[in-house]
Amino acid sequence: MTDTQSLIDQLAQDPARPVGSPVVPFALPVIAIMALCGMGVALVFSEPFLSVDLYGWGPMLVKWGFSIALLLLCVPALWILGKPGRRSRWAVAALALPFIPVAALLIFEMAISGLLVAGETWANCLTAMAVMSPIAFAGAILAMRTLAPTHLNRAGLVAGLFGGAVAMTAYAPFCPEIGMGYMAVFYCLPIFAMAAIGWFSGPRLLRW
Amino acid sequence: MQRNAGQKLNTADALDSLMQAARGGDQGAYRQFLAEASGRVRAMLARKIGSDSELEDVLQECLIALHQKRHTLDPGRPVGPWMYAIANYKLVDHWRKRGRSKMVLDDEADMAVDADNFADVDVASLLDELPEAQAEAIRMTHIEGMTNKEAAERIGIGTSAMKLRVHRGMNRLKDIVEEREND
Repeated sequence: MTDTQSLIDQLAQDPARPVGSPVVPFALPVIAIMALCGMGVALVFSEPFLSVDLYGWGPMLVKWGFSIALLLLCVPALWILGKPGRRSRWAVAALALPFIPVAALLIFEMAISGLLVAGETWANCLTAMAVMSPIAFAGAILAMRTLAPTHLNRAGLVAGLFGGAVAMTAYAPFCPEIGMGYMAVFYCLPIFAMAAIGWFSGPRLLRW
Repeated sequence: MQRNAGQKLNTADALDSLMQAARGGDQGAYRQFLAEASGRVRAMLARKIGSDSELEDVLQECLIALHQKRHTLDPGRPVGPWMYAIANYKLVDHWRKRGRSKMVLDDEADMAVDADNFADVDVASLLDELPEAQAEAIRMTHIEGMTNKEAAERIGIGTSAMKLRVHRGMNRLKDIVEEREND
């Protein structure tokens, strides 16, 4: 009997053992990390939704619209990337969609009043993004490791985008800044940076 | 051509139904599934790597991965794309571990052609589409049954050169068959 044949015999011993659904092990770290980030910023920062009191819901909706849309697109993309043989190109390409209205609003703002990047609370914003993005990224990596990603760079990239999107969603209510230039520099650039880290570290972190 | 497509469909169906039965706790079906998957993955690997021992190593890694990651196959989805994606991943991972992705030429691998590939095909007309040197190499090794070494000695070239001609010729033949199937 060849080694391969004996391996087959060995593996065939436990087909009757029920194979658990991958949904719970995948969803658990994703949900836990979102809750953790939400609670974390609530404990550290004060005066949530100050920008709503000052400027109405518009700027808040732009920020949350972008970050929640990105978040909601990242989760199914991660799920699809974790399933071998599933076509993931469109799911990954769709992640560019939330950036389109942001880019359009940025161009509009620049045409009207020039590039407005400055904001008094930029240090808080960068700190929140720098602390929470890697934590949420780690949650996405844990979730992906319960599946079987075969495109590791791509999966790492999406995990990075997820990390950035979670961080932005959690911190945005505490951010009083409203400029699109500010959003591009202090939210979008950190998200891109996290995505780049994910792209390069994916093959190491997700290898199975 | 239609029969080939039918054969492939039946094989895919067989894998799907075997996996479905295995999920229901049928040990025999699971053993059959692994044996069938082993054959299909072996054929895929044989086209990509040559060394027989290396092929067995990767094949076993693939089988273990298929077993360990079987929860990632959604019920109702075809097994084929899932299985080949895992096998391909394991092959690339194997190459990465070895620190190279160099093609290895080997007698056994080039002789181990999936029988389905050339069923119902006019081999003579296919060989006419190859460069004469490659066609001659395949005639001697695959039709007349010589080893690469014997064939190389007959026409006075090195064994490595013969292996290369056979390997390139076989790859080209597979491409031609696939092109014809797609037409």
